[in-house]
This record gives sequence, C-alpha cells and structure tokens, in this order.
Amino acid sequence: MALLTVANMETYYDLVCAVRGVSFTVAEGEITAILGNNGAGKSTILKTIMGLIDDQPDKGTIHFKGTEITHWETDALVRRGMAYVPEGRAVFEELTVEDHLVLGAYTRKDKEEIRKDMDRVFTHFPILKDRLKQWAGTLSGGEQQMLAMARALMLRPRLLILDEPSLGLSPLLVKEIFGIIREINQAGTTILLVEQNARMALSLAHTGLILENGRFVLKGAAADLMDDPNVREFYLGMKSNTSTKGFQRWKRKKAWR
Amino acid sequence: METQKSMAMTQTDTVPGVFHRTVETRPDQVALRHKELGLWRDISFKEYQVRAHEIGAALAELGLEAGDRAAIIGDNGIEWVMADLGIQCAGGVCVGIYATNAWEQVEYVVEHSDARFLFVENEEQLDKWLKFQNRVPRLERIILWDSRGLTRFTHPMVLTFDQLLERGRAVLKETPDLIARRSAALTPQDPCVIIYTSGTTGPPKGAVLTHGNVTWTARAVAGTNPISHKDQVLSFLPLCHIFERLFSVFIHITYGYTVNFVEKPNTVTANMIEVSPTIGYAVPRIWEKYYSQVMIRMDDADFFKRSVFRWALNRGRQRARALMNGKAPTALEQLGFGLAHALVFRKLKERLGFDRMHTAYSGAAPISREVLAFFQALGLNLIEGYGQTEGTGVTTLSPHNRVRFGTVGQPLDGCEITIAPDGEILVRSPGVFQGYHKSPDATAETLDQGWLATGDMGELTRDGYLKITDRKKDIIVTAGGKNISPQYIENQLKACIYINDAVIIGDRRKFISALIMIDEDNVIKYAQDHKIQFSTYRDLARHEEIHHLIDKEIHRVNQGLARVENIRKFTILTKRLYEEDGEVTPTMKIKRNRIETAFSTEIEAMYH
Repeated sequence: MALLTVANMETYYDLVCAVRGVSFTVAEGEITAILGNNGAGKSTILKTIMGLIDDQPDKGTIHFKGTEITHWETDALVRRGMAYVPEGRAVFEELTVEDHLVLGAYTRKDKEEIRKDMDRVFTHFPILKDRLKQWAGTLSGGEQQMLAMARALMLRPRLLILDEPSLGLSPLLVKEIFGIIREINQAGTTILLVEQNARMALSLAHTGLILENGRFVLKGAAADLMDDPNVREFYLGMKSNTSTKGFQRWKRKKAWR
Repeated sequence: METQKSMAMTQTDTVPGVFHRTVETRPDQVALRHKELGLWRDISFKEYQVRAHEIGAALAELGLEAGDRAAIIGDNGIEWVMADLGIQCAGGVCVGIYATNAWEQVEYVVEHSDARFLFVENEEQLDKWLKFQNRVPRLERIILWDSRGLTRFTHPMVLTFDQLLERGRAVLKETPDLIARRSAALTPQDPCVIIYTSGTTGPPKGAVLTHGNVTWTARAVAGTNPISHKDQVLSFLPLCHIFERLFSVFIHITYGYTVNFVEKPNTVTANMIEVSPTIGYAVPRIWEKYYSQVMIRMDDADFFKRSVFRWALNRGRQRARALMNGKAPTALEQLGFGLAHALVFRKLKERLGFDRMHTAYSGAAPISREVLAFFQALGLNLIEGYGQTEGTGVTTLSPHNRVRFGTVGQPLDGCEITIAPDGEILVRSPGVFQGYHKSPDATAETLDQGWLATGDMGELTRDGYLKITDRKKDIIVTAGGKNISPQYIENQLKACIYINDAVIIGDRRKFISALIMIDEDNVIKYAQDHKIQFSTYRDLARHEEIHHLIDKEIHRVNQGLARVENIRKFTILTKRLYEEDGEVTPTMKIKRNRIETAFSTEIEAMYH
C-alpha cells in the first residue's frame, strides 16, 4: 500500500517552474530515495509536500494515508504523522537537547509514552543522552543531525522525511547516520529521503528515483539503479569508458533509456 | 530525354579559385561569426583566407601532397571551416567525420580514406583517436583546436591549431606563393572532398566530390532563388553532411555572405533568435519541431488569442493555397493576409527568429505537407529541396512562390532528370559525383554513363516538377501483393504534433502496422494537462491514455488512406532513439533496418 502518493505535482517559484510535474509513491515500510544534482528540484518536492512553499503545488495532488492533503498547513500534516528533517539540521542553538526532544513531541499528550520514546531514541542516538543538558549550538554537525532526526522521531511519525541527512558530514559519520536510518526503518517507520550521496542512498533504499530538471528520468528498485550505466557514470562516478591517456575531463552525453 | 542545357559557365572553377575571387571583391566583409565568452566575434573574409592559407601551407610543409586526404572531426565552428578550406587550398581532399561517431566509426573513416592528417576538436575527439592510434599507420599528424583539459598532455604526433598556424606563417614567409601555386594546379576534375554517407543502411560509403561538382552546385542553387553577400545563415547541422557544407562553405565562398555558428548543438533556438538569419535551412525534424511548438503554444493561449490565430492562419493558408496551385491570390486574399501578417505573423516570426528569413530550405529527408503548408501560410518561403550526397546535395528546388504541393521542385538549371522504366529517378548534372572512394562495385551500381541512380522512385509532372513516391528499397509489398509507400504514411503520422517519428511495417505481412516515437515535450504537456500520472519516459510511453491519444491520431490519418494502407496496429516505443545507439543518423533520419531488428519483439507481438 502506498503511504504517500504524489500525482502530477508542479511547483513554481514565481515564474520559475522548479518541479515540472512529478508523480511517485512511497510504499509503506520502505525507504524511498530521490536522487539528483544540485537544483534538480529534490528539496522543492519535499518542501511542497510539507506545505512549506506558499500557494504551492500549483498543480497536482498529494495523498497521505488515503486522504488528500494538498495545500494543507504544515502543522496539520505534522499532526497527521509526517515528520520532516530539513536540510542543514535547523536546530535551535540555545535550547538544550532535552528541550528539542520535548519539543518534538509537542503535539502529543501521552506523557508516559513520550518518556518511553525518549528512551527508544537514545538507543538509536546514545550520544544524545550524554549531551542531554547541553545547548544544541554546542553540538558538532553530526550530533546536530542526530538531534534533528531524534526530534522528528519524538513525533512517532508514520512517515519520516529527510532532506540530505549526509550534508556536511565526514564519511564515517555519514555511514553511521545511514546505519541509524536503516534501524529506524526496520523499527517500522517509512522513510522518504532526498540525497546527493547516491551511493549511500541507493545502498540503503528499496526504491530510487532520479530527478533531473524537475522531472524524473529513471525509477526502479535501488539495486537495479546501481547497475544502470548512466547512474553508474553520472551518479556513482564510475567511468564506463576511460581514456587511454590516463585522465579524462570530458563526459559522454547522458542518455536515459 | 531533356535537351542538353548549358554547363559551360563554370567549367574552370575550383574551390580555392572561387574563394579567392570572393575575398578579392569584399575582403572586409564579415565571413564568419562565432560566440566567444558570450559575445559574437566577427571574422572577415581576408582573415578567413589568411588562416586557411596558413593551415594549407603548414600542411604542405608537413608533407601533404595534392590529392592527399585530411580528416576533420568536431562540432561546427570557425576552426572546422578554416581547416576545410586550408586543406583544399593546399590541394588536399577534406574528409569530414561526424562528431557523434563512436571511435570505431572514426577509425573506419580515417583508415578507409587513408587520411594523413586528422583535425580534432577537443579532448573527447582526441580520445577517440587514442583508442586506435596504433592501427592507422598512414595517419601522421593530429591537430587539436580546443586544448582545454590537455595542458599537460603531450604527444609527438599532436600539434595544436595555434602551433599549426604559426608554422604556416613561417612557411609563407619563406615561400609566399606556395598556396597560390598549389591552388592554380587544381582543375575542376580534381577531388576536393569525400563525404561519407551517414548511411541509413550498411557501412558508410565515401562519395568523392570534385571542385567542379561543388562550385557548379553552389551557383546552381543560387540560380533558383537569390543569394547575395547581404545574407546571413546559421550553421548548426553537422558540417560533414553535404547540406550544411553547401551553405557554410561552398555557397558561402561563392556569394560572400555571413555564416553564424551556434554556440552548442543545443542552443539552436536561442541563437536563431539572436542572429535572425535571412536564409534558413534545416532538416524536416527541426521544422516539425518549430511547427508543433507554435501549435501547442496556441492551444494553450486564451480564447481571444486562439481565435485570432486561427483566423490569421486561415487567411495565410488561403493565400498559400492559391500560390501553390500556381494562381495569383485575389485582392481580398492579399488584404486578408496583410492583416494577418500585421496582427499575428510578424510578431510570431520575430519570436522564432524567422523575421528576416526570405528563403527557408528543408532537405535531407521528406517533409510532411502539413508542416510545409503551415510555414507557407505564415508567409515564410519554406522550400523543399531534393538531392543526395552523390549529386552534391541538390538536384531539385522550387523557385520562390512557385512551390507545388507534393513535389520537390524543378531540376536545377543544367541538371537532367529522367525516370527509368522501373520508376527510379536518374540524374545527370555537373553536380553528379565521380564515384565512391575505393568502392568500384558500389560506384558501378550507382553510376551508369554519367547517370546517377538515386534509389528513389518518382515521376515528373507536365510542368517539370519532380514528385518523389518512395525509396526504392523501402517499398512494402503486403502479403496480399499490394505495393505500399511507407514514406507517404509515415509523413502523415509525423505531421501529428504528438508523434515525432514513425516506422511503417508490413512487408510480406497480412496488414500494415506502425512503430511510433512520441513527441516527448508535447505528450508530456498533454499528460500534465489531463492529469495523467507518470514518472519516467517509459511510464509515459506505456500509459494507456497515451495509447488512446495516439490511437485517435492514427484513426485520423487512416481516414485519408486507402483501405490496404490503413494502420491496423501500432506500438509506442518505450525508449528514446539515440544517434549513439545507431538508431538515427546525425541528421535525425531513422535507420529503418536498425529499428526493425532492434524492435523485432515489438513488431512480432503485433502480428500474433
């Protein structure tokens, strides 16, 4: 069953059409990854779904858990079970880790369950327990990313939306974060992920979609995408044909078949 | 048989001779324009000649003898044409290679033509040579004109374009008359270029054209419709194809107008508007694209604009119909057209970059009648030409305002056409080539006592217009024994804005079917407007509603066809067609055989 269904969605920034009609679904229990270069429109898709861009989408519909949620306010979406971790973390520098976690559960009333969830979050992110009383602004980039994800998880979301969780993190940390994302998914949360780090994202996701200039050019099982010659050359950086002179500056033309 | 027409006027012409005369007449006229860091730069005829001579002199010093071959591979640009003329002025024979060719094909042409020199555009093209460098012993030097990314690369065989020019300057200082002597030794019977056919069938064949062939054709084309030094053209089709070569080199050096090069192959539309050429030429696919863009945009406009456009188009069509049937439009028709022009067409043509275009040509493949009529209605003189590489590109053209629907025009002055008993078109003219390079068998099959067998079927109308019915080898004979022209049906399909290309199947089959390539932009737009969900091209091409859409179009086309010609089944291809995959030629012509084998599963599925 599709948890989230996006149909013919178009998003404009004034006169610029950033998302030029996309349709896709996120299957319950899966990790779906949207890949693409800078400016392809990945983040715009997420922001449009979350109702963060005024009066958008211009066209198209979005359904979540079988209900149309197009043009809903962001807070209503959150109450319905969609949690969003923005690009670049967006933590409140002068609030403590604990404040963030409490804030994440803002829409919930069940004190007892919240406490349990907090413990569960600490099993994913043990480092946060040590930093509980510390200001978020004093955390490292990786810890902030963990905090932002922990905050989102406190909502106990049906769908967790992550905008470039690997941004600005060292390769080891990226590995760690992706490991945690897999754990979260295995614990039952559906995940929609936007990434530039194609290799990590495809090794993690069930389904991959490739976005170029606001349109999908390829979709399929993540494992199949890994084998696609275009994905290999343009997203995974593997050369299909190498120059005999040992280095090569030019790239062959992209052809989506 | 036609009467012998005069062909004496150009007996002594050679490419360097014609070039020299034009440079003498107008040395300061702008010959070439190209964009450098976003700004248009001019190159005068004088400078053009100086560069060409430097290249020629350097090549001569490096050992190029008269008749030796030198090849060029790269996208259109000033270096391409400078090298082309440099080679020819030194007495060499220039061989163009498609920039999109894979290295195996490049090797084939270099090897088959025995090229001693190879001009390469950039690193990408250089890498192709590196793949086969040890297998072509006759190749001596590589000249590279864009060395970005290669500052640390050295190879004893590789020279940069600038180094070559410098070398040429030094040589000319020593022997200033080197090129003049070489040029003077040439006769019209000497070969000047070998054009390898991109070939919708089989391995490429190299058609040898002489100085006489190309200089005669250049004049003959201008003899049908006026061309002068005041004209501007936009160069974007591949230069190794005869169509572009005529306008960017041969006709250019004869009449001394300005050639503008597009920045990149994908900036044609933008550059068209900037340059606003006075003579336009393109393959049918491009004209079809412009046509469908206008139609789609108008469909999207508000009611008022749409109505005005429709009204204007009808006025234009009325006048065009009168003209194309050989009648003068009535005063009322003229008045209507004048109004339509003022209200709609003038602005529209400005937007497309067609506002200064006095003549537009379509060639290299048949254009659909609907598209031709559309541009004629706008008041744009779109003229279909017919010819083949073996006849230096042009055999027939229509004069201004005497375009006849369904024909490709009249033979050029000095060109004879006759129809063989089996219906094949035979051509004899000073533009007919000498033969295929190193392929006497193929030459014998094509040339018989000066008559070129075109491989096309056709007929001549009473007033001397040529009608093409089909490619000889493409004729379909159905299982019921009926002869059918696939081209005619395909053209009807291509005129639909949602169909980019089509291949008709039916040889020895029970009925006619079609493979359809959808027009991506227009079908996506249709899908968006009708809330049809798809994520990728593949999804779109397989969507049921798109199938319905194409079905409707096919039904419409079927109404105008005989019963046996009716398309009973069709399949939309779920893959885009790429030149790199060998499915289309560089001028975007479909390679029928290739498609039929590549999609045999889809074809068989339609007959089961």
